[in-house]
Amino acid sequence: MKIPYFPGCTLHSKARGLDETTRGSLAALGVELVELPEWTCCGTVFPLAQDNYIGMVAAARILANAAKMEGGKLATVCSFCYHVLKRVNYAIKNNSEARKKLNDYLEENYGGEIETIHPLEICKEIIGLDAIREKLKRKLKGLKVACYYGCMLVRPAAEMNFDHPENPTIMEELISALGAEVVEYPGKTTCCGSYQVLNDMSLVKQKVKEILYSASARGAEAIITSCPLCQFNLDWMQEKLAEENNGFSKVPVLYFTQLLGLTLGLPEESLRLGEHYVDPKPLLLGA
Amino acid sequence: MIERIKEISGQNASICMQCGTCSASCTGRDLMDYPPRQVMRMIQLGNQNVLNLKSIWICSTCFICTARCPRGIDIARLMEALRVINLRKGREVLIAEKIPLEILTRVPQMALTSGFRKLSA
Repeated sequence: MKIPYFPGCTLHSKARGLDETTRGSLAALGVELVELPEWTCCGTVFPLAQDNYIGMVAAARILANAAKMEGGKLATVCSFCYHVLKRVNYAIKNNSEARKKLNDYLEENYGGEIETIHPLEICKEIIGLDAIREKLKRKLKGLKVACYYGCMLVRPAAEMNFDHPENPTIMEELISALGAEVVEYPGKTTCCGSYQVLNDMSLVKQKVKEILYSASARGAEAIITSCPLCQFNLDWMQEKLAEENNGFSKVPVLYFTQLLGLTLGLPEESLRLGEHYVDPKPLLLGA
Repeated sequence: MIERIKEISGQNASICMQCGTCSASCTGRDLMDYPPRQVMRMIQLGNQNVLNLKSIWICSTCFICTARCPRGIDIARLMEALRVINLRKGREVLIAEKIPLEILTRVPQMALTSGFRKLSA
């Protein structure tokens, strides 16, 4: 089965590991992600000012181009891209003013027909967790994993319509199927501080500390996410936290697709485990 | 000013009942000068100083306040309106030259695009 795919800017640069393990894992499961022939940045944030239509044009163009391909779907894995594409699509479908204005910019006649879909949904709803279990080359054997969703995947619930806005479980269901032991902790949909890392690093440091301690206190050996910015904040900030506190114990922060790829037997180099600040290799490859 | 905020956000702050759920949930509350409940109160009272708060620039638009508001107010849209009114007058907080190099060279590209869209004019 083929599904049109929008990688997004970060997946072609700092988050190649997310891109390659998403494509590789889904290919091993029989789903080929077909990259859109032309694409731009999605805009990264959904404009919350009602009169800011220009902030939606990039995403609208991506969606309109996806509608020209076969499949009726558009897959994207970065939480920011998924958030923006899904909300812009919702606006085009449900808001006649947005539909009219955006189509005027695009010189198109796109009505929001595309279904934006996340690889977590592809795994659960299209491939099926039982089918994934059958294709595993190895299991995670009780590895204690905390799933971190952050904010963009799940909220606001009405528009995102992606699992529960404060207690989603789709990532836990997948990771359990891979043999991991799920760590329940209260921080999984709190915000890591996001782009505030550029403006006020102390905010991000504080939020990351709360999330990490919340997960570590319950025994997490690794944290997984689908967002390159969450991954960066949670991963890099541990270097700062370790500088301030000698007793700080680091926890590797991975993309969920890296664990999926590992269990499906993707070649080690394509997992790109060496590109994180906290090295996950002793935990994953030593085990 | 109240009408302008309402127009840009599409939200009616006057239905806020001041319960404080937004403040209790807020990601950035510890670093804000006025937590979201007080920002809402200032909008209700038409206090122009609401445009000068540090809080509006600390908001990380995580939508936890929006998700939890028992009155169904999209508080994130109100915070955005306060930023947008400033940004359209050229008042911004994120200046490219002032971002520390150790961060600039390491952050994923999406952080730069989103940060500049939210915090730069």
